[in-house]
Amino acid sequence: MTPIALPRFANVVDAAAPFALALALGAAVLLTAGFEPLGVYRLMIQEAFGGQRQIAATLTAATPLLLTGLAAAIAFRAGIFNVGAEGCFYLGGIVAAVIGFAAPMWPPFVLILIALATASLAGGLWLVGPGLLRARLGVDEVVTTLMLNFIAIALTSWLVNGPLLARGSANSATPMIAPNGELPRLLPPTTLHLGFVISLAVVMLYGIWSRFAVGGLRSRLVGLNPRFSRAVGIEPAPIFLATMIASGAIGGLAGGIHALGLVHRFVSGFSPGYGFTGIAIALLARNSAIGVIIAAILFGALSSAGANIQLFSDVPIEIVQILQGAVMIFAVANLGFIWNRRRNAP
Amino acid sequence: MIDAFLHAALIMTTPILLAAIGGLVNRIGGLVNLGLESMMLAGALVAVIVSTKTGSSTLAMFAALAVGAVVGLAMSLVITRLSANEVIVGLGFTVATAGLVRFLLKSIYGVSGTYNPPGVAMLPRLDIPVLDSVPVLGAIVSGQDALTWLAWALAPTTAFVLQQTRWGLRLRATGAAETTVRAVGLAPLSIRDASTVFAGALAGLAGAHLSIGVVGLFNEGITGGRGFIALAAFYFGRTSPLRTALGALLFGSFDAAQIRLQGHGVPAELVQTLPYVIVIIVLTGLGISDRRGERARTL
Repeated sequence: MTPIALPRFANVVDAAAPFALALALGAAVLLTAGFEPLGVYRLMIQEAFGGQRQIAATLTAATPLLLTGLAAAIAFRAGIFNVGAEGCFYLGGIVAAVIGFAAPMWPPFVLILIALATASLAGGLWLVGPGLLRARLGVDEVVTTLMLNFIAIALTSWLVNGPLLARGSANSATPMIAPNGELPRLLPPTTLHLGFVISLAVVMLYGIWSRFAVGGLRSRLVGLNPRFSRAVGIEPAPIFLATMIASGAIGGLAGGIHALGLVHRFVSGFSPGYGFTGIAIALLARNSAIGVIIAAILFGALSSAGANIQLFSDVPIEIVQILQGAVMIFAVANLGFIWNRRRNAP
Repeated sequence: MIDAFLHAALIMTTPILLAAIGGLVNRIGGLVNLGLESMMLAGALVAVIVSTKTGSSTLAMFAALAVGAVVGLAMSLVITRLSANEVIVGLGFTVATAGLVRFLLKSIYGVSGTYNPPGVAMLPRLDIPVLDSVPVLGAIVSGQDALTWLAWALAPTTAFVLQQTRWGLRLRATGAAETTVRAVGLAPLSIRDASTVFAGALAGLAGAHLSIGVVGLFNEGITGGRGFIALAAFYFGRTSPLRTALGALLFGSFDAAQIRLQGHGVPAELVQTLPYVIVIIVLTGLGISDRRGERARTL
């Protein structure tokens, strides 16, 4: 007989272990480079959560990650390996930025709504191809979505270097969006903006949908066992396609919010890999909504603290990237043997 | 003009071809390697460091090979022994290694992004007497470095080893029928690890070609996604090393063309997307023909 509390505890350990191992690996890297890891981590916690200003910066940094994490989670849950959120993020960003500067006379509500809706649409449409290929022809979506990332990044980079380049601007960027298109700030003078609330709300909606809606159950069944779900009358193909489009739309929305809320235009190199960090977040979260929120805030804390510790100490900000990569690796590794060999035995 | 282009196309093909042959062997052994980019980056950096420290480009080449192999082994062990998903681990290695390389550049050498030490010993270019004055052919075969020769020698060699030798058979069996391999008393996971080590070593050499064969310094963007273009090349090649080499040559030519076309109003960014577009088209075509094959069988 297994006590009921034990699996829950194991779940928490499951989620925390990759993070802890990544921190240990990061500590080893810091030690090798001659830094004092505990001091660095303490400074990072302080810079991430030490006061209102720091918390606001952390939540601002978590905003795009909430949605890229969700984009990955919703796909993984249905058994779809979509690694294309990064490309959708770029497309959503450029679409929202273009609408943001092209329609300066529209009232704010209308402008923001249309810009974000179009950004989601762009992201969703971008993944129709891989969705159809997977659903109809069984083509592996990992390669197609990965390749589409590079295409989206190059395409948007071409657009901002040529057709959409702001006049008189030396770097590759669109013009600034109209003030009407900017998402309102929540806590001036910090950069925390309405996008955080929107993103949080979308993740919570996903939480409710995945737990209580028929569609949520169906997508989970298809993800767990497509043959079984076909046997009970749930055709996996349409769900694969719909999930891929939804995942793309969420990625596009993330980019749109990032453009309207923080950057206020589209620049080349718009995302430092938010789509890939989203994959790590979804894995840590085991695709749950609450997990996505916690993991996104953790990663937001890492990147906002990383930027600050580079200013205040000479620890390079890249320690954050090392930790992110390590979390991805440990999150999928079967670490069961570390605390209980038998738990994962058949 | 055409001579210069052909020469450049071959130079740009080499890193893609090396990594793609490695990735192909790895995939035949049952592991899709999304970490080639990280092994290439590590190889490129180590080659510059060793080349500067020792003044020997040969030692630098072997060091790049070794570091690529070590990164490959680490990645492979996580995937085969901790039953981790190869896609995520590959991307994780790409992210973490890019971070680690930049971190080390800053904390050890105090430079941001570019490491350009004095006295990098470059890979020697092998000029071939007589042939080098023949137009076209001279540009192709003369003045290339040893890694280019190695890359092109590997394509037919790999094809031969895969099809005609015991090791090739074992590798193919590991990818196609793991349980059978285990049943005859071999260790499929170790064979798979060996194929990843091979892929890592070749990707490390690809990095060395970029840093001490082409530019003579290290830059954090030196690999420029070529690990993923190599992925495109071995998906293009399916199971054939020769088709993979053809894909690498095609994508290497795009790379060389894109640099040349920049001044002529052709947007380089759009040329850069071609390998990725072609792979999606190829995969679509394969999907359609597989589906047709299935239908034909069921009728």
